[in-house]
Amino acid sequence: MGRIKNRIRRLRFDHDEMTQEELANRAGCTRQTIIALEQNKYVPSIELAFRIARAFGVPLEEVFQDEDS
Amino acid sequence: MAPLQKRALYSFVIGLVLTIALIVVLVVQGDITAFERDPNLRLIMYAALIGVPLIYLILVNVTLRKPTQIDERDRLIIERSGRAQWLAVIFTLVAWTIALTEIYRDQGQVPIAFLQLIFMSTLIISTLAQSLGILAGYWGMNRNG
Repeated sequence: MGRIKNRIRRLRFDHDEMTQEELANRAGCTRQTIIALEQNKYVPSIELAFRIARAFGVPLEEVFQDEDS
Repeated sequence: MAPLQKRALYSFVIGLVLTIALIVVLVVQGDITAFERDPNLRLIMYAALIGVPLIYLILVNVTLRKPTQIDERDRLIIERSGRAQWLAVIFTLVAWTIALTEIYRDQGQVPIAFLQLIFMSTLIISTLAQSLGILAGYWGMNRNG
């Protein structure tokens, strides 16, 4: 789905194999949304995208990339 | 399974049980006018008419207040399910209107018990349609994104 890809699974692995549950709690969403994001089946709102980036302590563009750019 | 998805499934099952219960009551009584004759049955119906929407409102509000239970993706699915709910309610009311008009046209009046039956059936259909809409929303989102 969509042209926005993300590196959430990779970033979780790089952050001491952070669990989906832990990331969901930090980002304020459900684990099912993290699963959908990792499978590229959901494009998050700007707000959630920023919260996920903040949870990893990285800039937004390190988590989400536009396939066209 | 997402918490909202589970609740939708439970609501669907409860809706089905209510539908079957209503049909069983109608079949056992044998006639719609039994609602008017039997005061106990009327009391049960009034309790259901007030109780079901109240329980529904409380459950929805409790669910929507917990941030870990529901997020933006769930809210998007709830919004989309509203369309299915609206259509189901409209079609239910259209079906009742046409059926009652055609059946009681010659008498020029409809038994008062139908008011309760119309409300109960609309409430049940609305719950079922919303639950189905939510379940279909999750299915579609998991399939196509």
